[in-house]
Amino acid sequence: MPWLWILLAVVALLLVLAVVGYNRLVRLRNEADTGWANIDVQLQRRADLIPNLVEAVRGYAAHERGVFEEVTKARSALQSAGTPGAAGDANDILTAALGRLFAVAEAYPELQASENFLRLQEDLTDTEDKISAARRYYNSTVMHYNTGIQSIPWVLVAQPLGFREKEFFSAGGDTDVPQVSLTPAT
Amino acid sequence: MRSSIVVIGFVLLLLVLAGLVGLALDISLGVVALVVALVYALVAILRSRSLVAGITHAQPLGEEELRPLRRLVENVSIGAGLPVTPELRIVDDAAPNAFAAGLRPTASYVGVTTGLLRTMPKRELEAVIAHEVSHIRNRDTYLMTMATVFAGVIALIADIGFRSLAYGGRSRKGGALVVVLAIVGFILAPYAALLLRMSLSRRREYLADAGAAEILSDSEAMALALRRLELDSTTIRYADASTAHLWVESPTDRVESERRGVLAISGLFNTHPAIPDRIAALEEAGGFRLPERLAADAPFAVELGLA
Repeated sequence: MPWLWILLAVVALLLVLAVVGYNRLVRLRNEADTGWANIDVQLQRRADLIPNLVEAVRGYAAHERGVFEEVTKARSALQSAGTPGAAGDANDILTAALGRLFAVAEAYPELQASENFLRLQEDLTDTEDKISAARRYYNSTVMHYNTGIQSIPWVLVAQPLGFREKEFFSAGGDTDVPQVSLTPAT
Repeated sequence: MRSSIVVIGFVLLLLVLAGLVGLALDISLGVVALVVALVYALVAILRSRSLVAGITHAQPLGEEELRPLRRLVENVSIGAGLPVTPELRIVDDAAPNAFAAGLRPTASYVGVTTGLLRTMPKRELEAVIAHEVSHIRNRDTYLMTMATVFAGVIALIADIGFRSLAYGGRSRKGGALVVVLAIVGFILAPYAALLLRMSLSRRREYLADAGAAEILSDSEAMALALRRLELDSTTIRYADASTAHLWVESPTDRVESERRGVLAISGLFNTHPAIPDRIAALEEAGGFRLPERLAADAPFAVELGLA
């Protein structure tokens, strides 16, 4: 008879551990999903600012067609990126293209004096900062989540339970993308 | 983990106190004490948000005011994964300091002094704000409000118990030993509660420092900010013991240590660990050493157009 009780207690303990562990994984996955949503909001905000920026620069420098095309292409590549890794790469390409656009803009003093342009530039810098903050948070949640589903015993059951490994945003993991200075040279 | 030990300590203390009241006094008195304590706790919790704003003199900002600072707070909150950006308030005071208040992460605010903006360059200001945001994320503001209320409730019950033992002859019961035990208990309990509250506060400070380093992936920034705060010797005007635990650097230590004498030297009654200890903890976790001299970077107030 005492054996039965011990067996029951062990089973109950295992059940409790399983529920607690499973809930932890769900929580970690939700945090990572929230982290991704935060990045997505900022990427969308960045993409929304770009047409206005291109229009503003085009008004003063219509013949710089190559740069506009590059920025527009990078923007749509970012919007159609399907995975965090791809979005990270596309975002880096867009940052580089925008850097060239601002380099072009520097040759036009009237543009540099335009209130509208300066405001757009400031908003873009801000979005860039927010993307990098959101990336730090997302990548750290992904790291915790991935570690969680790769550790014993969860590594054995994570797949069938629907816990898939998540990708980091930007290929280099938690390293910073090269920051292109968007502040006007004074 | 250690914080939960402190919380358990609080509960044990309250139970011991209730036991003493039950042993040495009429049970009905114990019930009265408990009801009074609960009402007190409820009022204190409900009023804490406006109370903090009142004591610290923190002013809300208009929509377009200090946009770069507001953006800094937004970015730090995003980096911390907070669901909403805490409201920003300014305390017009020359002493560099900052605090966090509010019971829930969704209804919190961060207060910074104008002195902080005039002292800290952007990187260090960001670290100080990240420290406060960590307090909000870790729900320290809630925890410390509860700890303060608990400590207050314990002091209140002990006081009522002590007075009834001293003056209320009829409600007294139990032998001489019980009475002596109860008197000693009633005298010591408020100090024990205060000790627990302060040790909890110090642990949460270390945690918030580590949190700031993690949010910014930059452990040096927090250490640099602390060093700068250490070098500064301006005392805040609205320093008050009841809100001391909220600030990034203890606003009352300099005043209090003179008042308390020997006890203060031990550091047991301080809300914050000593700054060199906090810097050392960051250095150890981050694997770096602070340079001897601080760089003379322009304070963020210049970018804000305040200086």
